[in-house]
Amino acid sequence: MLDALEGIAGFVFNLDLLSTYGWRLLQGLRITAEVVLISCSLGFLLSYPLARGRMSRNPLISAPALAYVTFFRGTPLLCQLYLVYYGAGEIRPFLASVDLWWFFRDAFYCCIFAFTLNTAAYQAEIVRGAVQSVPKGQLEAARALGLSPYAIARHVLWPQALLIALRPLGNELIGIIKASALAAIVTLLDLMGETRFVFARTFDFSIYLYSALIYLSITQAISRLWNWIEALLSRHLLAGRPATMVLGAATRKGQGAALDPLRAEP
Amino acid sequence: MNVAKVLSLIGLATCLASMSAEAKEWKTVRFGMDATYPPFENVDPKGQIVGFEVDYANALCAKMHVTCTFQNQDWDGIIPALLSGKFDVIFSSMNMTPARAKKVLFSDMYYATAPVWVAQDSNKSNDTSFAALKDKAIGTQSSTVFANYLDKNYKGIEIKLYPGGDEPLLDLANGRLDYAVSDILVTQGFIAKNPGCCRIVAEIPRTADIFGPGVGAAFRPEDTDLAALFNKAIAEADADGTFKTLEAKYFKIDIRGKK
Amino acid sequence: MGWFSLLFGPDGWAPLLLRGTVITILLSVVTVPFGFGAGLVLALLKLSPSRPVRVACDAYTTFFRGIPDLLSLFIVYFGLQSLLNVLARLLGDAWRIEMNAFVAGVIALSVVVAAYSSEVWVASLKAVPPGQAEAARSLGLHPKQVFLLVILPQLGRVALPGMGNIWTILVKDTSLISTLAVSDLLRAASEASRATTRPLLFYGAAAGIYLIFSIVSGVGQAYLERRANQGYA
Repeated sequence: MLDALEGIAGFVFNLDLLSTYGWRLLQGLRITAEVVLISCSLGFLLSYPLARGRMSRNPLISAPALAYVTFFRGTPLLCQLYLVYYGAGEIRPFLASVDLWWFFRDAFYCCIFAFTLNTAAYQAEIVRGAVQSVPKGQLEAARALGLSPYAIARHVLWPQALLIALRPLGNELIGIIKASALAAIVTLLDLMGETRFVFARTFDFSIYLYSALIYLSITQAISRLWNWIEALLSRHLLAGRPATMVLGAATRKGQGAALDPLRAEP
Repeated sequence: MNVAKVLSLIGLATCLASMSAEAKEWKTVRFGMDATYPPFENVDPKGQIVGFEVDYANALCAKMHVTCTFQNQDWDGIIPALLSGKFDVIFSSMNMTPARAKKVLFSDMYYATAPVWVAQDSNKSNDTSFAALKDKAIGTQSSTVFANYLDKNYKGIEIKLYPGGDEPLLDLANGRLDYAVSDILVTQGFIAKNPGCCRIVAEIPRTADIFGPGVGAAFRPEDTDLAALFNKAIAEADADGTFKTLEAKYFKIDIRGKK
Repeated sequence: MGWFSLLFGPDGWAPLLLRGTVITILLSVVTVPFGFGAGLVLALLKLSPSRPVRVACDAYTTFFRGIPDLLSLFIVYFGLQSLLNVLARLLGDAWRIEMNAFVAGVIALSVVVAAYSSEVWVASLKAVPPGQAEAARSLGLHPKQVFLLVILPQLGRVALPGMGNIWTILVKDTSLISTLAVSDLLRAASEASRATTRPLLFYGAAAGIYLIFSIVSGVGQAYLERRANQGYA
């Protein structure tokens, strides 16, 4: 009985494993970081024209944009990754003829290509949703003030849209970090890939838990960082809130409610 | 609410139907295989696992008077799956290395073939030294004796590891790899199906520490009775020519290696 | 060989793809009651007055939402195997429990779906006006009746968009199960494409089928939302 309990404790934590293979995990982490940062940035750049395309009134532009977004949001990322990685192998003669084979030959670039296309679709929808959430009154007022379309976009629309989009985009970044684990399935030795490598060598389950802890720390850190950025960038919104909310914080419980003219007292 | 109830009942029924307690006497033996290794085992269009080892396993089961079932299992997790009871025997061209023998019980050897270096047809060089391969793309299946061989002798070169047994050859054929390491029979089968893609460059000598004496079936260490049953059946299949017939059907050579 | 005969010919792979599609649908559908049900239980526990319970549930949710789904599936899958192994050793050889890959897949997916859906359930539980529960209690209804007859139906309406989102994630996560040798649609496509070296055809077909699921799910969700919001402005 004690033996079995020891067995359970043993398979959950194994510190020797970390000392022998920890450096491998860190190497994988570096690859993961590269893949995530590159895909996320390229995807962000791509999402702007895509979002504009989605919002366009011209069906020749909005239809392909809709098709793109529907495809990349409607199919699993793993399937898209396989399509890019193995599909490129199948059309290799064509790719070689346009001198692109060197790109698709490498698992690293294939992953970045697939992840970028995928995240661009999600980010485009987030940005589109944010732009459409900016109160119409803002745009009307800006037009009434005689601002040029460029000035409206630059000073009124996009700053507010990006602020609304900030939280979902943060979630998307965390989503990409988690999705990057799929790169391991196409032989890329990112954090997940190194984890599988070590497990195959040692059959020690605890390597998965260490890997999970690393991913968890990263996503938690990003989450908190994002909260801080959001609070920083929306400082100005705090000033515009009804006085009651500020007062409510300052007064003791109950008194704040009494000072609130908007809340009906039961 | 009704829909939820029905769904839950379906789910519960599915779970219960697939759980069973296994008794000690061997009436059914469950085989685990990584069916990405033609002609030894692969999946056919009907979704069945077929191949030399499937036929051989069926022959052995007939001699042992048991029913065989076959499960597909990814190679990386095949030993943990065996040890946790997902199936009873690994019958998947597993080389009997000393390292593996520490974790599982092996049967008698039933074949031993050479590992080989494979390159594209256009690559006419036969040089497989470290210096020649230094900046080439090399790949093989992960968790295999081939991977261990490469890791030991070609340290410093980035080796691409694939989850499936046929994937290194596939990527060699489409140009992602410059060299692949695989089994000689698997490679010959691949070249036969894809003529002109690749050629065997060199054979790798089977050293005991990395490759072991040959391929055997793997059991949980406590299943000594099952191992004994298998060894008896293997001997019987040799004696009455069943093995030789199967060997001739799939391969034209002696796959036991030089005795 | 033409794509048509590769799919539908005598040695065609279409039946395998079809079986994979059925497994994918079954995996998703069977996971729904377990995953969303466990998520609801988790959500109720998160609103419990006991602090250790809340902390434990939050830890569970944070863990499984913070790591890749692929890693979650591996941990549950291999963890379950090891756990069963230890149990077998504890209870003796005669009690070795066999668990097939499908069930392991359902359990793994349910663990992940429970974590995601518990957040949606908590938000929905908080969104139902507290006055509803108060009124129901003051009418003399038993707490269980209050929950089942008054809260739950209203929960459904608020939770629907979030749940629809998680359903989409679930269907796509079933493709990750393909890495654990469960013969779902993506696995069938992999096997076919490796045997025939025609990945574009088979992965393209798989993508098309997933796309159909996605569009049908979207239409279904829109319909359900319209129906649920019937009495509301």
